[in-house]
Amino acid sequence: MQENYLAKWLTDELTEAEMVEFKKSEDFATYQKIKESASILEGPKFDIDKAWSSLEQTKSKEQPKVFTLTPFKAFIRIAAVIAVLLAGSFFYLSTLNESFTTEYAENKTITLPDTSEVILNAESKLTFSEKQWDDNRNVNLEGEAYFKVAKGKKFTVATAQGLVTVLGTQFNVENRKDYLEVTCFEGLVSVTINGKETKLSAGNSLLAINGKRTMSKATVNGKPSWLTKESSFRSIPLHFVMDELQRQFNIKIITKNIDKGQLYTGSFSNENLELALKSISVPLQIKFNLDGDKVLFYDEKAH
Amino acid sequence: MNLEHQQNICEETVYRRVFNETSKTIFNYIYYKFGNEEKANDAVQEAFVKLWENCAKVSPDKAKSYLYTVANNLYLNVLKAEKVRLKYADKTLKTTNESPEFIMEEAEFKEKLDNALNSLPENQRITFLLNRIDGKKYAEIAKMENVSVKAIEKRMHLALKSLRERIDGI
Repeated sequence: MQENYLAKWLTDELTEAEMVEFKKSEDFATYQKIKESASILEGPKFDIDKAWSSLEQTKSKEQPKVFTLTPFKAFIRIAAVIAVLLAGSFFYLSTLNESFTTEYAENKTITLPDTSEVILNAESKLTFSEKQWDDNRNVNLEGEAYFKVAKGKKFTVATAQGLVTVLGTQFNVENRKDYLEVTCFEGLVSVTINGKETKLSAGNSLLAINGKRTMSKATVNGKPSWLTKESSFRSIPLHFVMDELQRQFNIKIITKNIDKGQLYTGSFSNENLELALKSISVPLQIKFNLDGDKVLFYDEKAH
Repeated sequence: MNLEHQQNICEETVYRRVFNETSKTIFNYIYYKFGNEEKANDAVQEAFVKLWENCAKVSPDKAKSYLYTVANNLYLNVLKAEKVRLKYADKTLKTTNESPEFIMEEAEFKEKLDNALNSLPENQRITFLLNRIDGKKYAEIAKMENVSVKAIEKRMHLALKSLRERIDGI
């Protein structure tokens, strides 16, 4: 018999003569039985899909290269998760933005980390990241604000309508629903709306209503009128003017028989409501009725 | 062209293929060794995570032996072997025309075989089970165990011999 004949027998590698001899041996019956019984043996179930998905999870977590094979493994896993959560939340909290908000009829002056000055008009919100300020001077603006930017790196005002980028200058950004107006009083301002860039030099103003742009002139070295408690408009649809009036006086405006799309040029006081209402109604030849914090604008002639 | 074999394990499809081909065998390999399902599952995870981390260094044709080595070294001298529990497939139950006596003898034999398998040295048990259950050729087992085919044949021979001796009560 050849060496390791039992192993050869299992894989049918015995010669015929060897087979005959092996069959004659008294042990053969048991061997045969072992072979038969072993053929129906089964190991425990292995769930390959489960193994794969848990492997995918581990892989995506980019585990460290060293695996500690100790009973503490489960503990270390939990500790690692906690550490990641802690580090993550610390990072998150430390990058949380500074935020300033004004309510109706309220103005606020904010000094940024680089001594740039921002004056927020009514119902506006300004956020910026103090941590990242040294790397990029970015602020987010909802509403209207006047900027006096200290000279330095690029200063960016992000609004829902577009980006305003400057180096060091004075400018005003008004960003309301469907409305973006940027006025440059000093220096050069770049305005990007829907990827299209417009350069504004001092004394120019860009107005985009629903993405449609118009350019107009403004006073060089001037200031936005709202800083002197006045809101000015040049050929602006009436409903934007009324929105501003509501913000400045915290009132509710209702209209009757009024074309809110007609253009308004003029200004109104941000301090005297009676005067402001007249400033709007007289040139447009409409009437108003003031009742508490409710104002009704109406057109008598239409009756 | 042998291009496919030149592919990198870092490629998701290659990695996945190796996983599909090898994971169950690794699981069984570790299970036959220690009789511990949980540890066998862990071994599959550890081995494949290691392979992923070193995917640039391990060529696809070396992947399998790399996996076995990792799985093998994982519990080296750490884990105490437990009883390996194996099931018998339901195939036998189909033949119902056997006498109760015969069925009892069968059951007795299986129990004896079970005990005999558990009393085998682990390398003999692994060889026997990988060949009988997983249908692995001696050459494949030799690669997994990093020994010669002849050594595997020897283990198989000895495994059968001691199984029979145990069962026949010598």
